[in-house]
Order: sequence, then C-alpha cells, then structure tokens
Amino acid sequence: MAMDKEKLRSIISEVLSELDIDEKTINTTSSSPVITSKTADSNTLKLTDTGDATPGTITDEVVIGITPAFGVYQTETIIGIPHASVLREIMAGIEEEGVKCRVIRVYRTADVAFTGHDAAKLSGSGIAIGIQSKGTSVIHQKDLTPLANLELFPQAPIIDLPTYRQIGKNAAQYAKGESPDPVPVKNDQMARPKYQAISALLHNKEAEHQDLKKKPQAVKVEYI
Amino acid sequence: MKRSKRFEVLENRPIHEDGFVKEWPEVGMIAMDSPNDPIPSVRIENGKIVEMDGKERKDFDMIDSFIADYSINLDNAERVAKMDSVLIARKICDINITRDEILDISLSMTPAKMNEVVCKMSALEIMMGLAKMRARISPSNQAHVTNLKDNPAQLAADAAEGSLRGFDEEETTVGISRYAPMNAISILIGSQTGRPGVLTQCSVEEATELGMGMRGFTTYAETVSVYGTEQVFMDGDDTPFSKAFLASCYASRGLKMRFTSGTGSEVQMGFAEGKSMLYLEARCVFITKGAGSQGIQNGSVSCCGVPAAVPSGIKAMGAENLFSTLLDLECASSNDQSFTHSDLRRSTRTMMQFMPGTDFICSGYSSVPNYDNMFAGGNWDAEDFDDWLVIQRDLKIDGGLKPVREENVIKIRNKAAKAIQATFKGLGLPAITDEEVEAATYSHGSKDMPKRNVNADLKAIEEMMESDTSAVDIIKALYNGGFKDVADAVFNMQKQKVAGDYLQTAAILTKDFHVVSAVNAPNDYQGPQTGYQISDERWNEMKDIPWAVNPEDY
Amino acid sequence: MDQEQITKEIVEEVMKAMMQEKASANKVVTKAETSNTSTNRIDSTSYPLSEKIPEKVYSRTGKKLSEIKLEDVMNGKLKSEDLRVSPETMEMQAQVAESIKRETLAGNLRRAAELIDVPDKRLLEIYNALRPYRSSKQELIDIANELDNKYNCTTCSALVRDAANVYEQRDRLRQD
Repeated sequence: MAMDKEKLRSIISEVLSELDIDEKTINTTSSSPVITSKTADSNTLKLTDTGDATPGTITDEVVIGITPAFGVYQTETIIGIPHASVLREIMAGIEEEGVKCRVIRVYRTADVAFTGHDAAKLSGSGIAIGIQSKGTSVIHQKDLTPLANLELFPQAPIIDLPTYRQIGKNAAQYAKGESPDPVPVKNDQMARPKYQAISALLHNKEAEHQDLKKKPQAVKVEYI
Repeated sequence: MKRSKRFEVLENRPIHEDGFVKEWPEVGMIAMDSPNDPIPSVRIENGKIVEMDGKERKDFDMIDSFIADYSINLDNAERVAKMDSVLIARKICDINITRDEILDISLSMTPAKMNEVVCKMSALEIMMGLAKMRARISPSNQAHVTNLKDNPAQLAADAAEGSLRGFDEEETTVGISRYAPMNAISILIGSQTGRPGVLTQCSVEEATELGMGMRGFTTYAETVSVYGTEQVFMDGDDTPFSKAFLASCYASRGLKMRFTSGTGSEVQMGFAEGKSMLYLEARCVFITKGAGSQGIQNGSVSCCGVPAAVPSGIKAMGAENLFSTLLDLECASSNDQSFTHSDLRRSTRTMMQFMPGTDFICSGYSSVPNYDNMFAGGNWDAEDFDDWLVIQRDLKIDGGLKPVREENVIKIRNKAAKAIQATFKGLGLPAITDEEVEAATYSHGSKDMPKRNVNADLKAIEEMMESDTSAVDIIKALYNGGFKDVADAVFNMQKQKVAGDYLQTAAILTKDFHVVSAVNAPNDYQGPQTGYQISDERWNEMKDIPWAVNPEDY
Repeated sequence: MDQEQITKEIVEEVMKAMMQEKASANKVVTKAETSNTSTNRIDSTSYPLSEKIPEKVYSRTGKKLSEIKLEDVMNGKLKSEDLRVSPETMEMQAQVAESIKRETLAGNLRRAAELIDVPDKRLLEIYNALRPYRSSKQELIDIANELDNKYNCTTCSALVRDAANVYEQRDRLRQD
C-alpha cells in the first residue's frame, strides 16, 4: 500500500493531538477533590489528595489503599454500599483496636492486590488494606509477593458493612503482631452469573482513571 | 401498563437472574469479531518476523515480540498467511484431512490468522474440529476438591470419592491462602486412596504453587496464567518470559504443568485495548505454545460470566478450545465455573466440549456441593453427579465418570479420612479427631463437619514450611500409620518425576501408573469408527446406573 | 499421479529433510546432549521410557529406575534427592517430543534439563526476579551470567537476556 510521508505525518499529529486533549481532561479532573459519597445518615465523604504518600514512621498503623476512582468517580460498591460507609467501617475497625490508620490513593494500578501491596510497602507496620471501587478487598503484608495475601475478599457482592469492619479489625491485629482468626470465608456460587459482567464494566470505568506514572497520593479524609 | 401474565412468568425464570450486557467494542466488551481486531499478516526477513498482524516489529509490544520470536513455525508462515481462511476452516472440519495435515498449517499461523479462520466456523463445525484436533485419543475429566472450611479430612474424603468416580486429575484451592500446603497434602492422600495414579494440584499464587510442587505435595500444576494484553499481564504480575522460565522450573523438577488463560480476562481486568475476547485469547494460546508448555486450560475459566453476558460468548469458549488443539496442546476445556442460574444454559454450554470430547472436559467438575466450591462455584457440582451419568448413558458419550455404589463410597471416604489422620499424626500437624473422620465419611459438605482451630492449623503449616518436610515424610507417615498401599501409591507418584514420561502432551496415569498421553495414544479421528471408541467393558460400566430397574423384577 | 501431486510430494520431502537437518544442527549446542554423546537419539517409539527402555533411565543421583523402591524410602536409603529427574533423561524426553514435531515443548524440556542443578531457593528467586518491575537491566544480565557461568544454563540465560532487552524497551524494569 502506498502512502506518502506527508499524509502519515498528518495522521500521526492528529492522533497525538487527540491523545493530548484526553490527558489534559484526565489531569484536571483528577487533581481536584470531588465530594459525592454519603453514608446512610447522610454524612458526605470528602477525599482530597495532599501530595505524595510517604513511608510510615510509626509501627502501630494500618494503611488503607484505595483505587483511582474510589469515592470520586464511583461512590458505591457493586451492590450499592456507599464508599463513605465502607471507609468509615474499615477505619472504625482499625481504631477500635487502638491502631492508627491513614488512607492513600494508588494511581498506577486499579488492581486490588497491587493496590494493597503498594499500600503495605508504605505502611509503618507493613500491613495494609487494599480496596477497589466495586468493593473487592484484601489484607496485605509488605513482604508477601503482590498476588499473595493475608486475607482476600474476592467476591464484592457478598461483602457487607460488618465484614468491612471486621477487615479493619483484623488488619489492626496483624499490625500489632497478633494472629487473629481470619474473617470467616463466604462463598456465593451465584455471584458470578449475576455480577461478573457488571464488575467488568465497573472495572473498565475505574481503569480509565489509572495513571501509570503517578505516585501514590496521601489522602485527607473528611466527613462533612 | 397492565402487565402480561406471561411476561411476569418469564421474568421469574432463573435466566433472568443472569447478567447480560450489550456489546461495547471500544473497551473489548465483545466476544468475537471486534472491529478493532487486526487483519492477519506476516513478513519474514533473514529468518525473523519483521511484521505480524499489521504491526511492524518496532511497534511490537512484549506479547507480540514473544510470539514472533518463540511461537510460530516460520517454515510455512508466509504461505499460510496468504491461504484463504475459509478454505482452512473447511479443512479443519473435513474428516478426510488428517490432524497432521492441519497442524502443518496451523502451527505456522499468526494469532490474527487463527482467529480469522475459527471465526468462519459455526458452533457445530468448531465441535467437529475439536473431535479431530484433540491431542489424546481418549477424553477425560478433572475434579475440583475444595471446601469452605479448608477441612483436611473432608478434602481427603472428597478426593478419594472423586478418584473412585473416575476423575483422572483433581484440583484444590483455598479459602484462606495460608492453608495451601495442608490442602495439597490432603487431596494427594485422598486421591491415591481412591484410585492410585490420579494427578493432583493446588491452585494458588505462582511461586507458592511451585514451592509445593518441589516438595512433592502436588504432582502437577495448572494455574500458570497468561493474558492477551501487556498491561493485564503486568497486573497478573508476570510476563511471557517469566512464565516460560516458570514452565521450565516445573519440568526441571519432573512436574507436569499446563498454562491457563481464557476469554474475558483482559476486559475483566480493564485493559482489552478494544480487541475481541477471542482474538486476545488467540494471543494467550500462542504464548503458551512459545513457552513450551505441553498444554493449556482455557475456555474463559474464571471469567466466564463476562463472555457469557455478550452475544456469541459461549461459542467463543468452544472456539478458544479449538485454538489450543490447533497448536497441538493438551486442552483442559474449562466448563468449571458457574456462569448462569439456568440449568438449560449450563448444560448447553458444556455440550460444545462434551460432544466432541476434550482432554479434560471439565477443569474441573466440582466434586463437592457448590457452597463448598472455592473457585466461587462450579458449572457442575456433586449434586449433578447422577445427571452427568445419565447424560453419558443417553448419548453413549464417555464423559469420564462411572456409576458408584454407596457402600463403596462410604468405605473409601472413611479410609481416606483415616489415612490423612495418620499422616497428620506422623507429620506432627494438629490432630484430626475421630469425630472429624466420622463426619467426613458420611458428609455431603462442610456444613456437616466440625470446626477446626484455624489458628493452630496455620501456625503448624508455617512451621512445616520452615522445615524441609517433603513427600518422603508423607510416605513414611502413611506407611508407619498402617496405610502401606496408600504410601506405595504416593511413592509411585513421586517416582513418575524420575522418568518424566508424564511431562509429554496430555498425559494421565492408569491405576498401574502406566502413562497414557498424546505420544503413545494420539488422537487419530477421521470419521465414523475411527479415533476413540468406547469399549464393551466401558459401555457396560456406563450403562449400569444402580437406580435403573431390572426388567426381570416385573 | 498428476503434476501438482508430484510437485507437492517433492517439496514435502525436501522440507522434511531440511527440518531434520535444522533440528540436528540445533542439537549440538545443548549441554545434556554433549554429555550424552554415546547414547543414540531416541524417538516416540521408545516412549514411555519407564516401560520401553527403563534400563536407560537413571535418577539425578544415578539410581536406576528399577532400584527405586518403597522399602528403600522406609529404611532411609532413598531420599528426596533420589526422586528427581536427571538431565540425561530429560534430554531423552526432549528427543521424544521433537520426533513428533513438538519443538517448543522439546525446547522447554531442554531448558528444564539445564535447571535441574539450580537449587530450589535460587530457582524461585530467579523466577521472581523475572516478574515485571522486579529487576534492573543489570540485575537481569547478572542472573544470565550466573546461569551461564555457574550452572552452564546456556539456553535459559539466552531467555533471560532476551527478557532484559524487551523489559527495557517496554519500560518494565524496576522503577525506584
């Protein structure tokens, strides 16, 4: 097929300019905080990036790693639990064990295991929780390989608020060097037929906000 | 609107519980024939592929590079690229063209070419292709053996029953990942109690899985996952190169291994680059071939809810199985995970593999009730055993299972539970009580089992993995515990690793540890009365369902 | 026989001969083969090796297949190390695969033959180092050199070097 250089050049520059526009839109929207998720008693969750997340200096902390769209572009899990409530339960679970927690947002991936592992590497205790917008969660430890885990909750459609609280509690106990009983495993063989395709849609929408080059960001959490 | 009573009835049918979505080609939410799928092409210069499927080498991503350099037989590549895809498709389902003649063509295809060829075939033609292209002459079946509580006595009992029922391979996984070594040991012992020679594996994180194989806790591996786009491969924490190296690691320890992939995984993980699920799966199968794996598990596997939600998704699952056979690989054809609430739909999905037969029709069949299936539910489970037996009998198709007598099942479950009890004692693991043995003997699922001390188990597992405990210790524990025959079977499974015969394509073992593979038992199907024929002995076994009435009794 | 049929047969014959030449040319470089030159090449008719030619199958520690018995496990004569495949046996399996045109499987089995002497722990470390974002280019080159020099794994080291180049091009090296 014959194609002259000029034509090729114009096509390339056209494609490049389209890409450029896309990047700008993403960058401007993702740098400002968005307030959307409400708890059942209508407290609104406000998440604000405050700069690069730093490694923890205290050993009695659990880091919660959230994925790019969490609480911003998506505001509830796959079964409609508000992110505001999810985060509050996890934090409450951690705090009732007398352990501190901090939230970071991971941008380079939207995968739950890597998010949890990135957070664990920044955690002073080496323990972290990773959570995706659709609700899938993991308790991770920094010395494990990324796809290993301490406890994994792969079926988002069956994770309820008491389970999120328990996840927080267990993570806090690992951080204290204890060996908690793992959160009882649940299994619903009909979750996949009902939700898997929806889960794929949600994940694709989350992945649109991924930024391979962006470092994990410290996140200020406010309920207003 | 006043509602139609008929529509109300239809809406309450199980099929309406399933998730269906319309195609969204921009993100790859499309099973076959995406407008973004590449046009096949290949150009070779100085013995190297410099252009493949419309991309110049300088634009290759990691997967393109790997496939171009390792996966394609270059001898016929340019000729095959120019062949009419419809003509190739016709040859594949033509009984007069031999399997070898097809391989001469298909081993030189590019991924886009194979995708284009198979997309020209109907569901029936794909089945005809599978019947001819399957690697091993005889079809077989694999079981899932798991439970919600990771209870070892129940795992051993279920593995023993599965072996007795005819499964040639058994696969476990975990509820809590740290349980992996204990689960692996439990089904190893259970399987060998039920029928010596059954292969077992434990599906967990890659490095952990290899570590267990090295110790002899498992005798093969399957969860060596590959993906069709580079970004998803990265999220899977591997590359084609690390996976090729891993394949060699397994073989170096004398362990059978196959890769795993499936349609829908890329879009499920958010980076399908707008390509169809089937085209991306073609890339996975080519990576598998290039890495030198003897086989693959594919057919969407754990992602089946995704292709099943879009048009022609179930057909795509059959098509991807055909890809594997076209590259001369063992194919464990999925049919494992639940994807629908509809009994009609789940049996129809299986017919694409059941009718032609594959190396493993299910990979696997949930040999426990679905609430205990830790692969998040199976397409077939323990409660469907009798349905499966009847379908085999109805169609005179060998689906790998055999009718069993209740008393024999009870006996073998009890023996397996006692054997694992003795092993735990010998290895110094937390005791399996007589109460657990009794419960496992008669149980249907983990709801019938007493609770174990999870923390004590996890602590003991950690200690065991810090020591150099291996299959040799298991053999000794069994032998000293009075289970010499089971010890002998576990020993013979370890001995397989010395000769390596079961590293060849599509290998399974008989009860006498004789290897049956695509080397000494290759598929030679060429139409009626060729290929696999059900023997009289096997047919009599299949016919004999215990609950059929005897005419003489009336 | 028509003209086309004859041409086809001639081409097939020539190509078959060329393939065989190519295969035997490749063979010379592998380690197991050179250490095993006295053995004749085998093919799929010798398979299964454990039944057809058991006298030629030895474990990694030099134990004859027929000498590997359960009682010797019990009396401590046989250890885990004795239940492992030898490079020579693996090379025979590679030849079986190659004789029925499974070249990539044969290639994998030959890489495996090389890796038999690499300790478990080191093998797992190398695998992990090959995963994405784990290693710098130099670290991968060092591994390739180690495979070459310490264990004589020439095919495996080539794979690692290839990976190092591709990871660099694709930006998948360790990013600190």
